[in-house]
Amino acid sequence: MKFRIALLPLATAVLLLSAGAAEARDQLRIVGSSTVFPFSTAVAEQFGKTTSFKTPVVESTGSGGGLKLFCSGVGTRTPDITNSSRRIKASEIAKCADHGVTEIVEVKIGFDGIVLANSKASPRYTLTKEQIYRALAKQVPVDGKLVDNPYRKWSDLDASLPGVKIEVLGPPPTSGTRDAFVELAMEGGAKQIPMLSELKATDKQAFKAVAHTIREDGAYIEAGENDNLIVQKLEANPNALGVFGFSFLDQNADKIQGSRVGGVEPTFENIASGEYGVSRSLFFYVKKAHVGVVPGIQEYVAEFTSERAAGDEGYLADKGLIPLPAAERSLVRNSAGGLSLLSSN
Amino acid sequence: MTDRLLPTDESAARHLAKRHAAERRFRSYGASAVGAALVVLVALLGSILWRGLPAFTSHEVRLEIHFDADLLDPRGSGDLEVLGRGDYGRLVKLALRAKFDQVTGRRERRALSALVSSGAAFELRERVLAEPGLVGTTRLFFLPLSDDADLFFKGGVDVSTREADRRLSDAQISWLRVLEAEGRIESRISRRFFISGDSREPELAGIRGALVGSLWTLLITLLLSFPTGVAAAIYMEEFAPKNRLTDFIEVNINNLAAVPSIVFGLLGLAVLLNFFGMPRSAPLVGGTVLALMTLPTVIITSRSAIRAVPPSVREAALGIGASSLQVVSHHVLPLALPGILTGTIIGMARALGETAPLLMIGMVAFIVDVPSGPTSPATVLPVQIFLWADAPERAFLAKTSAAILVLLAFLVAMNLVAVLLRNRFERRW
Amino acid sequence: MILSLFCSLAALMVAAFVLGRRRAVAVVSGDVRSLHSRPAYYGHWVALWAGLPGLLLVLVWVAVEPSLARWQVLAHAGPAVTELSTERVELFVHDAEALAAGEVVSRQSTPELRAAAERVAQVRSEGRQGLAAVVLSVASGGLLWARRRIHPQLRARNGVERAVRGLLAASSGIAILVTIGIVLSLIFEASRFFGLVPLNEFLFGLEWSPQTAIRTDQVGSSGSFGAIPVFAGTLLITAIAMAVAVPVGLLSAIYLSDYASARARAVVKPLLEILAGIPTVVYGFFAALSVGPVIRAFGERMGWDVSSESALAAGLVMGVMIIPFVSSLSDDVINAVPQSLREASLGLGATPSETIRQVVLPAALPGIVSAILLAVSRAIGETMIVVMAAGLAANLTANPFEAVTTVTVQVVTLLVGDQEFDSAKTLAAFALGLTLFLVTLVLNVIAMAVVRRYREQYD
Repeated sequence: MKFRIALLPLATAVLLLSAGAAEARDQLRIVGSSTVFPFSTAVAEQFGKTTSFKTPVVESTGSGGGLKLFCSGVGTRTPDITNSSRRIKASEIAKCADHGVTEIVEVKIGFDGIVLANSKASPRYTLTKEQIYRALAKQVPVDGKLVDNPYRKWSDLDASLPGVKIEVLGPPPTSGTRDAFVELAMEGGAKQIPMLSELKATDKQAFKAVAHTIREDGAYIEAGENDNLIVQKLEANPNALGVFGFSFLDQNADKIQGSRVGGVEPTFENIASGEYGVSRSLFFYVKKAHVGVVPGIQEYVAEFTSERAAGDEGYLADKGLIPLPAAERSLVRNSAGGLSLLSSN
Repeated sequence: MTDRLLPTDESAARHLAKRHAAERRFRSYGASAVGAALVVLVALLGSILWRGLPAFTSHEVRLEIHFDADLLDPRGSGDLEVLGRGDYGRLVKLALRAKFDQVTGRRERRALSALVSSGAAFELRERVLAEPGLVGTTRLFFLPLSDDADLFFKGGVDVSTREADRRLSDAQISWLRVLEAEGRIESRISRRFFISGDSREPELAGIRGALVGSLWTLLITLLLSFPTGVAAAIYMEEFAPKNRLTDFIEVNINNLAAVPSIVFGLLGLAVLLNFFGMPRSAPLVGGTVLALMTLPTVIITSRSAIRAVPPSVREAALGIGASSLQVVSHHVLPLALPGILTGTIIGMARALGETAPLLMIGMVAFIVDVPSGPTSPATVLPVQIFLWADAPERAFLAKTSAAILVLLAFLVAMNLVAVLLRNRFERRW
Repeated sequence: MILSLFCSLAALMVAAFVLGRRRAVAVVSGDVRSLHSRPAYYGHWVALWAGLPGLLLVLVWVAVEPSLARWQVLAHAGPAVTELSTERVELFVHDAEALAAGEVVSRQSTPELRAAAERVAQVRSEGRQGLAAVVLSVASGGLLWARRRIHPQLRARNGVERAVRGLLAASSGIAILVTIGIVLSLIFEASRFFGLVPLNEFLFGLEWSPQTAIRTDQVGSSGSFGAIPVFAGTLLITAIAMAVAVPVGLLSAIYLSDYASARARAVVKPLLEILAGIPTVVYGFFAALSVGPVIRAFGERMGWDVSSESALAAGLVMGVMIIPFVSSLSDDVINAVPQSLREASLGLGATPSETIRQVVLPAALPGIVSAILLAVSRAIGETMIVVMAAGLAANLTANPFEAVTTVTVQVVTLLVGDQEFDSAKTLAAFALGLTLFLVTLVLNVIAMAVVRRYREQYD
């Protein structure tokens, strides 16, 4: 009977059904942001190698998906830690509480610089935030009125800029990188325009809508989140600029160069000192209910906040993470070590 | 009028020549289509090979390591626990400093020790744990270079660029040149790539974890989708009554083929993980999700293949008294097998290359340990490729291509069995 | 527990097979010719009687156990629990289950919770013990009963074949289960999306721009969720891909099956199949870094305005990827067209190409159509190539030199984004997935009707 082979799927299905049994977990499970992923994995690996704990499993799910999983309940079937490239929202804290996740520890790990870069085959750009806003916003004020962005070339903005088409490769609207870029660079630029700063004083909502909306006529190209691809596209197209995380500039400094924003070059030191204004904080969140149940949570947090990882010369800095200022670092280390809870506000 | 009905020899010859020309044209279209497809294939494979081959070798440096008893086991207890906690990174640093004793200053020393991979310390640790007698002796060891230093010897560092724009400083390059001149640098086949799991350090990262994960996942996929798919196809073609329900099933199957793969991931998350409570990141779940995804492909192709078996074969078998099931299992299935296998090959090839559905069930992850079974956390080859392609370190570029080569080798090995079977069963009536 | 039950059932079935087969031979004292069916069929028949009822019982139990436990917990819980909000009740039940399994729980364990957990544990342990007893006795009863019924006239083969047919039918029924599962796992979130965005705005809106804010302190800027541009982009890219894959694939199939030598075919066909297995990341890089710039350079030379991300680059490369879907599958059906048809045509004086075009292809048409439909499905479902080469901007355009996006790409990016999971942005992914599902369903119904009409049967 050839049909006996049909029993194979049945047997596999049985295996499936019986795999459901919950078992104690001896391995940390971490989910969340793809931006924090390279740092989180570096710590996880170091943690696994230098301690007797198993190396944690780190998933790259995006901040939103990570928090969703994190907040889905307490128990070994849910993750212990979630990485996030933004702070947790009040609505997410509420959702967490609905599922019994009431004790959350927030740990700030450092900064991610967001750079505008282009190929070395072209001259380095020096931009002001206002120019960034004018180049990329959907609507800009011209002669006292908001109109659809009329600028086609960089030289339309300022005669000192090159006369090439505005072409910026950047992350899609689902990305935290884009979100931070919009807020820090574009909103910062919009504020400098008198008409918009007046608008901000009268109608904050309307101001933000103008400042935060990126043009959709092809000058800003939503290029997905593979930053290596953006780097390679910049190499192939010397006229284009790209928006991505500092670590990729750091690794590819022989091929691409970061544009000066507000006169400051995006270097490690400038971002760390806060002089280069476009950077955002990165976080991870710990489920306190799992401490003592899943082994290694406190040790992992200690490793992540230790000086040899997150310090000025720690291995995370080698990976492109911009460390917190020393004072804030020790503050974070203490509060994280003591597992102080996030106060829900 | 007859000369109009019967063409003259001349016009017949012309007509014939035209038809033959059409024949040649048609044939050349076919040949050029095959040729074009093969050219693209060769171009793709060539570029992957070109980029990926360097990742199969790595440069190592030979250093005299003094296993200082004061550092590793100050009390001389010989206890493995104590030895395991020793500062092996320091041994490497000391060995390097002994080599370049003119280097002083914190910054310079840091730059010097950055030449050797951080994995070297763990390798020394393992050696000592395996052979505690090493403590107190001095031995020559080949230690892995860091990714940047390795890249330098592979020609990946452009010395002509500004020092600040390079990953290696002028001093580091001069040290590497000294080591090379002394014959301490050697390029070796990278065993680590095949025997270790993932790592954040490119020079330490290996493919084995993902390979084993793919193996388990695809085994589950094959076990579930092949028999089920063929069974469904047999039912649909040979036994199903012609009614609404059958039509509904048929439309459903065709429709499932067009469902984006990530939706199968959502299904897996909702049903397998949340409802049945199966473990996250497990090949068992991944394999099931991929099986559901490939099922329509297997069913549709198997149906085509079964349909193509001439009715005369069935009628002959029925005529000599076989039951309808015997007709199917003894005659129709063997004859349809080549087509069924093609569908399986294509379906499995897709399952092997899929990442999106695995994202939802936790297999897009950094997992260092090599999975030990179908329920331990695992990732698969395409996920590994995806993650490495997204990593900032440049050395991962070559790793990515090398991982792709491994995936293709896996694919070829997997297909080989099916192709041999297919060639054996194939026939024309 | 369940696993060991399955194992004992399997062992019982093997025993039943041996016993049944022996019994059949014994009943006719070794003269197997006087049996209605061959002895093995009797073995299978007994094994089925021993195994199937027990198997069904186990499955039923696995399905009802959670709800049974839940019912027990709620039935005995005091008003302090039952009067809570639905979410809190869920949490309580969940905690009770977790506690029963020795897991972490989200609260201090109150006496109430412990009582509930005990109930859950009780349902589990007693239920499973009972289940094991019932299943094993049913199975052995079935075995004995079936074995006693064996006699030479028993139509064991028909019985076994009926069961096998049932198994086959169940296999095809899985498709329906999967469909139901998919709809269920999409519909809940999708309906929440339609609570936030009106249905007709989604279905008929001409602008797709999910630029709503990610953080609370930001303001939703232009957040329009019109699905038309996304679907148009899918159509455009799929059409380009098919324009590559169908001619190249079909001509390759014809050449391989009717012109190439058997040896060349045995080598080339598997080689082409590798194209289907190359990871899509590779195609993505190829499309974005090799094909894209070439198209751009070409366009600029012709004086057209070409963006660096274009539907054309993505479509062309995707077409290459799905060549094997068309070539290999069509090759199989073309190869299966009876040789007698070819010989008859050739015998009448037709050239090989005339034979192929007028005889072989029509005969193979249903198979070729289903191969092409499969290729279309694959093209619709592809993400990586599109993300890398055509970008994510949803332009409503038929110009292949512009950037477009597809449904699948949007679904994936929305699902893995950094925004809050319960925002309209993420929920839109579910709505898109569901809509795509329905659209392809309608297209498939039409396709089936058309294929039926033109289906021809040759021998």
